[in-house]
Amino acid sequence: MKRCLALLLALALAGCSSSGGPTGKNSTSAPPLVIHAVDAGTFQEDFNPYHLEGVNFGTSGMIYETLMYFNKLKPGEIVPWLALKYEWSDKGKSLTFTLRPGVKWSDGQPFTADDVAFTFQMLKDHAQLNTSALEIKDARALAPDKVRVDFRTTSYAKLYNIAGGSPIVPKHLWDKQQDPATFTNAKPVGTGPYKLSKFSAQLYEMEKNPSYWQPGKPEVPLLRFPAYTANALQTALQQGEVDWAGAFVPDIQKIFVQGKPEQNKFFFPPAGLVSLLPNLTNPVLARPEVRQAMSLAIDRDKIVKVAERGYTKVAHPTGVPMPGGEAYVPPEYKDAAFKVDVARARELLKGVNPAELKFTLLVPSPFTDWVNAAQLIREDLAKVGITVETRGVAFQDWVSKVGKGDYELSIRGAEGGPTPYFQLRFMLFGGLFKPVGEAASGNYERWKDAATDRLIEEYAATDDLAEQQRATQGLGRIMVEKLPQLPLFYSPGWAQFRTTKYVGWPSEQDPYAMPSPYTSPDAAVVLLHLKPAVK
Amino acid sequence: MRFLARRLGFYLLTAWAAVTLNFLIPRLMPGDPVELLVARMKGNVDPAAIDAMRRAFGISDASLWQQYLDYLGNLAQGELGRSITFFPAEVSTVIAGSLPWTVGLVGVATLISYLMGTSLGVLMAWKRGTWLDGVLPAATFMHAVPYFWVALALVFVFGVTLQWFPVSRAYGLDVMPGLTGEFAGSVVYHAALPAVTIVAASMADRILGMRNVMVTTLGEDYVVMAEAKGLTSRRVMWAYAARNAILPNITSFALSLGFVVGGSVLTEIVFSYPGIGSMLLKGVENEDFPLMQGIFLVISLAVLVANFLADLAYVVLDPRTRQESE
Repeated sequence: MKRCLALLLALALAGCSSSGGPTGKNSTSAPPLVIHAVDAGTFQEDFNPYHLEGVNFGTSGMIYETLMYFNKLKPGEIVPWLALKYEWSDKGKSLTFTLRPGVKWSDGQPFTADDVAFTFQMLKDHAQLNTSALEIKDARALAPDKVRVDFRTTSYAKLYNIAGGSPIVPKHLWDKQQDPATFTNAKPVGTGPYKLSKFSAQLYEMEKNPSYWQPGKPEVPLLRFPAYTANALQTALQQGEVDWAGAFVPDIQKIFVQGKPEQNKFFFPPAGLVSLLPNLTNPVLARPEVRQAMSLAIDRDKIVKVAERGYTKVAHPTGVPMPGGEAYVPPEYKDAAFKVDVARARELLKGVNPAELKFTLLVPSPFTDWVNAAQLIREDLAKVGITVETRGVAFQDWVSKVGKGDYELSIRGAEGGPTPYFQLRFMLFGGLFKPVGEAASGNYERWKDAATDRLIEEYAATDDLAEQQRATQGLGRIMVEKLPQLPLFYSPGWAQFRTTKYVGWPSEQDPYAMPSPYTSPDAAVVLLHLKPAVK
Repeated sequence: MRFLARRLGFYLLTAWAAVTLNFLIPRLMPGDPVELLVARMKGNVDPAAIDAMRRAFGISDASLWQQYLDYLGNLAQGELGRSITFFPAEVSTVIAGSLPWTVGLVGVATLISYLMGTSLGVLMAWKRGTWLDGVLPAATFMHAVPYFWVALALVFVFGVTLQWFPVSRAYGLDVMPGLTGEFAGSVVYHAALPAVTIVAASMADRILGMRNVMVTTLGEDYVVMAEAKGLTSRRVMWAYAARNAILPNITSFALSLGFVVGGSVLTEIVFSYPGIGSMLLKGVENEDFPLMQGIFLVISLAVLVANFLADLAYVVLDPRTRQESE
């Protein structure tokens, strides 16, 4: 009532009466789903799936689809999507896809091999769209349902980027564009389960694509994406405005669950790995026994409980995300776990001059959980005689310092990929090594090891799953035995959802896709699994 | 006229200095927009593609001097470049989309704050010793406590607890922007709480300024004369005393119009208002040089124009300034 009063007042102030009437379509009884994917004050009208940040969420997945779907929570699980199968030839330099018949663009045109060839040709011609750095030589349609992409180098390891990370766009609309790099695509036409139906700077909506190739799907008729900034979202979650969000919530039981764990659920699976980075160009930190001692001294359980509010789990010593990554863990370390052993740590440090055990731990101060973790690490390391001074700096400063190797200790995350190899390559690959002073884009601790690089090359040189797993196990072994980085905990993928309107969300028992609404194309896979809740 | 020409010359020089600082300051920040982007995307970008992105964003390794010349050249053609945060949106589009919200909200709030503050100041000077005296300490208190604290307290009480007003956005989600009564109503409803906080936090200055000048004016002979003539007290208060006392307040109003464009960054952040302040914050977070430069440019030009208007207003309102300048 009070709200009505205020509204009346506002209307009176505006000096007009509303003609009103409910907006949106009511073709089915199923209610719309309100989604928060990324923090945004306002949306720009950009639905080009190859734009990195300006693009509105849902463009890839809901509107544009990929050839295959890779489930990151079950490494190795590949689901045929727009393509039914793929086949490598020419020693990993040529990849042939057989396409799914009967798929249509949302404007009624048939989806063919020409569209796929056009998409990869476009990536080849416009380097700034090629964010996976695919080394495409040529892309050709062999038949209406067959397309071959040729690469300049062996590209087995990039299968995910090619088939799972490159949304296919329609040739008949895109080839008219002069510059696809700046094309904002205000009226997107895709093969996906949804079509853009409404756009304003504060809200956009997607409605069901009635001619979608999966019959009877999706069952959610309308998606609404309101613009929420980070603090406005917390209020919205508390008031129950949002059905599906991917956000850090400070006190999730109080703000979101509100005593109804069956209705207001959350699932935070591992989406990456957060580690303590020792700068290996520092002569003291380059000594393995020092890193070993540090690892033994750090109480990771406490960090997860106190700094991370129990939202995540302590990492497996190999750094491989668990559960899910079992096949990629060396068998002898399957049950390995971090254990605190102060006595053993002191033993290891006996031969080191205590005066040298003084380090600065650099953390980005906006990441308050990492700042807390750094404090705990400082306390733990003090117990074994290592003096650590924690220093919080601005995000920009931290990115620049860690990138250039201008630090002693820091905390940083590595994103998980479709298999643990992607994460370990990012963390350890000598090809990413940069001397101190030059900005690196991976391998920030500056690890240089011939055995590591050989394993990474072995993985990249084969299509055989068992071979790839064996190579990744080797990398896991290096992580445990040589400690180039000190894994702390998994960085969680955030997902909060309500089961009042729809059920069928991913769970620990059934991790069919990443549950976070900001992960694409996983979010579309989740939407295709949802069913109206029966009352 | 010479006075005006001299002022104009001074403003042109200031504008050049502002433009140059706009160019330099963002470049003094540590880091690089592409590195930040990669860090934020958490490895979803292949390092090998970083060079390509640099090129796409128009980030060059050219010398600072060359960049400065390019920047001036583009500026002369009204070209502000493309935003990095909202790539490939043009900076001018981003500013055009957010400026109206800020000007509308902060502009109207500033106007209300002046009208209310000035009227209250007049009344308080006229009715000294009554309960009205209590308004000033209250207003000063609101002015003295940190602005965001007032805003957060109001959000908590009226937005979250009582739920009388929405706490974020510029209009409701169920209305489409357009020239409809529904949309206008929603905009006003959503602007209410942020506007109230701006007014509450800024009114003390206006009250104090007006009351003090008014008290002095009330002691002038012509006011006594007007009273002696037997004019109504309302006429004396407004037409004789207030009219002469309002001069400083008008100047400060003209000056504060310039800061309207700069917006209240804090207001916009607390209320998630889609104005220029929120954009500036986003630009700074992402080291979006083109966007920051564009916004700073608009802000500094607005301040200069407002200063110029204040100068003009003074010349028009106060004959003495005209005489001295010739």
